[in-house]
Amino acid sequence: MSAPTASRTQRKPVVLLRPVPGNSVIHQLWAGTKLIVVAAIGVLLTFYPGWVPIGMVALLVLTAAWLARIPRGTLPSIPRWLWILLFLGGLTATFAGGSPVIDIGSIDVGLGGLFNFLRITALSIVLLGLGAMVSWTTNVAEIAPAVATLGRPLRLLRVPVDEWAVALALALRAFPMLIDEFRILYASRRLRPKDVAITRRGRWRGWWLEVIDLLAAAITVALRRADEMGDAITARGGAGQISAAPSRPKAIDWVAFLIVLVVCGVALALELTILGTSAVTS
Amino acid sequence: MAALCAATAIIAVVVPFAAGLSLLGTVPMGLLAYRYRLRVLITATVAGAIIAFLIAGMGGFMTVVNCAYIGGLTGIVKRRKRGTPTVFLCALVAGAVFGVATVTALAILARLRHLIFESMTANINGLAAVIARIPDMQGAADQLKRDFATALAHWPYLFFASSVLSITMVTLIGWWALSRVIERLLGIPDVHKLESSPDAGAISPVPARLQDIRFRYPRSDHDALGPVSLNVEPGEHLAVTGANGSGKTTLMLVLAGREPTSGTVQRPGAVGLGRLGGTAVIMQHPESQVLGTRVADDVVWGLPPGKVTDVHQLLTEVGLDGLAERDTGGLSGGELQRLAVAGALAREPALLIADEVTSMVDQDGRDALMSVLSGLTQHHRMSLVHITHYNNEADAADRTVNLTGNGGAADNTDMVEIASAPAPTVAAVHHSDVPVLELNGVSHEYGSGTPWAATALQDINFAVHEGDGLLIHGLNGSGKSTLAWIMAGLTVPTVGACLLDGAPASDQVGGVAISFQAARLQLMRSHVALEIASAAGFSMYDQRRVSDALAMVGLDPTLAARRINQLSGGQMRRVVLAGLLAKSPRALILDEPLAGLDASSQRGLLRLLEDLRRHAGLTVVVISHDFSGLESLCPRTLHLQDGVLTPTPTTTGGMS
Repeated sequence: MSAPTASRTQRKPVVLLRPVPGNSVIHQLWAGTKLIVVAAIGVLLTFYPGWVPIGMVALLVLTAAWLARIPRGTLPSIPRWLWILLFLGGLTATFAGGSPVIDIGSIDVGLGGLFNFLRITALSIVLLGLGAMVSWTTNVAEIAPAVATLGRPLRLLRVPVDEWAVALALALRAFPMLIDEFRILYASRRLRPKDVAITRRGRWRGWWLEVIDLLAAAITVALRRADEMGDAITARGGAGQISAAPSRPKAIDWVAFLIVLVVCGVALALELTILGTSAVTS
Repeated sequence: MAALCAATAIIAVVVPFAAGLSLLGTVPMGLLAYRYRLRVLITATVAGAIIAFLIAGMGGFMTVVNCAYIGGLTGIVKRRKRGTPTVFLCALVAGAVFGVATVTALAILARLRHLIFESMTANINGLAAVIARIPDMQGAADQLKRDFATALAHWPYLFFASSVLSITMVTLIGWWALSRVIERLLGIPDVHKLESSPDAGAISPVPARLQDIRFRYPRSDHDALGPVSLNVEPGEHLAVTGANGSGKTTLMLVLAGREPTSGTVQRPGAVGLGRLGGTAVIMQHPESQVLGTRVADDVVWGLPPGKVTDVHQLLTEVGLDGLAERDTGGLSGGELQRLAVAGALAREPALLIADEVTSMVDQDGRDALMSVLSGLTQHHRMSLVHITHYNNEADAADRTVNLTGNGGAADNTDMVEIASAPAPTVAAVHHSDVPVLELNGVSHEYGSGTPWAATALQDINFAVHEGDGLLIHGLNGSGKSTLAWIMAGLTVPTVGACLLDGAPASDQVGGVAISFQAARLQLMRSHVALEIASAAGFSMYDQRRVSDALAMVGLDPTLAARRINQLSGGQMRRVVLAGLLAKSPRALILDEPLAGLDASSQRGLLRLLEDLRRHAGLTVVVISHDFSGLESLCPRTLHLQDGVLTPTPTTTGGMS
């Protein structure tokens, strides 16, 4: 399946805000459901970062990924320095020793430190995977309406939720256009000859001036785009509806909630009773 | 509204910058706080934080919040005209608050804190264990272990102090950077034109009677329009033609509700810009008018809550049926404009104004758009005012009004045309047999190995010789821009090679000059002279070379002192060319060089490029979706369709 056809190995790029093509159960879930689930799991894991909750959430993420038919190629390439860093971290943590001790030949190796290190690594990976699942299975057009629906209770507190949702929708629309423009900005920067300053001070100064110029150009472009979009909004008589389809949970979403609730509940129960690994022991 | 948009744009700037260097993200946020109210900053922060969360999880979220705080603080202090001491004090307070918050959070999240500390201790102890094996280092290892344990024992103080220190540092740096940037940014002109009209009473924009209308922009010394008298009757299709500078767009503004400087406008009711049954406007830029991410969402965008629209029927009318679920990002210019028509029709307007809607659309798109527009007045009870500089488009109208332009050609008067290009600085070797650029079996795929993989180019082979003029013609999405990037060495093709003088082009970035469609993106410095000097790599004090470069593109040397933001579109493109040509490139690639220019600027630019090619031996490659007027600049044409070169008969004249 993965016979390389390209003559060079290309680093897989990080693809942003573009769902993996497909129409699976996970794709069909309401965007709001996914946001709530991610928030809930995030809270669970920050309060109880034990092996059991981490493992169960990881299982949940993997099942969801399998249901959504997300191919392995979706994962971005991990740069080598990150692997090296992970390896070094694991190595030094192993040297610390710790309570579970195993015998390898004649040497006793304490794995407590390594386990702690692995746990925090796993925690980060699971949290990242959770977020990635949302952006891989959700059409960006659904996010802003979902936020507007979710934020409805806040309206009672006079929080301008609808304004936020409109800004979010517009930002998601403008994002790809501006990314393109930044790519061009970066390219035209590469086409220029480098300023060669002799002194180190001069180099620093040149670097700073350049950063400021780049920022100014980027902001100019963004503001120009903003003015044009502002005209378009005025021409449409201001902000109002942002979505043609209604944005609310369906039957399938309640099922998803139930599953997540059960998984989290079981994980929490196990963590607090028989298999607790995150309690403060010292 | 402008504030909302600015907020949006700023978010889009902050997120990528924040990802790379969070410090830079503070500057746009600071600008926002400087220019607008706190509420705008908060809106931007919420939206930006959600996007960052979707992209990078919790870390991204915190980065954006942090940027917003620092930027907001410095922006507000700057607006209140306070100095560094105020910033310092605020930063200390904020650092303290943030420190207390962190400590409290960690105190509550005992288990997470425990895990983090355990894991850090394990790493340190492991390191100590390694150090201890080295002879004579036992003491140092113990010391390290002890110190780290002591530090952790006092973690609340440690976190508090580091929070105060780091936040104060970052705030001060952000303040320093913002102080430098802000003057540059204040010069950015506000180009927004439409203003929402305060509507009182019933909406009824037609029939409109305009009597001796004149319009003068604030801070201008001549009328942009007028005097003009004209009537817009209900149900008629009216075309307005005229050259650039004749005040066509200004007329649109007056029809859309702006008060003229003198003269009278009579309407039976209010203009109702964007309201149901009022006035709808479609503008020139296809991309920035479409506000929804999905086609169906864009049609209803901005309609009052509760209004039900038959999206399907509207899309069918403009010929976009079946595309309702598509992303607007993938549509071509012509399709985007037709979508804008559907969005306008959703408001059932009594008056629809189309302002140069075809000028940035390719020929096929133009035809489709025109057929949609010309059918509108028959199927709807509305008047259509179509503003255009193409005479053949005006033929479809019931009536044509020609603005003769006594407002004066405002923008282009200071563009001094020099008849012929002066002495060439580009080596004038004519038509040698060794190719300058050579593409051998070039294919390119974006996102290889991911589900988003998309083939842009397939097996492209051709060569460009010295002094050649080549047109690469293709429609939207044919891969022509990718091809241009590959030829300039900016993109490395996945298969095959692009050779510049026999060596890979990607190792010689800058050897081939490329002029992008959006000229503004290529102008990075603040002034023309500085820009040209920096682009070409010589000192800005070398006035002779700056004026030579300007003369080469037919611009007056006095322009050198001008600010970039004060240039017109055509001038910007020429300044870009001046900078590129002053570097004596091996070849020049132009991406849609004529887009967005009016007819006379187009002619001037073409004449200039032709002169350079013929007399200075400049190798020119033009990438375009249009043929018109390019024949003499580019005797050779290649057609690109879906990433493949198609063997259409090419005219190979001019190769002497």
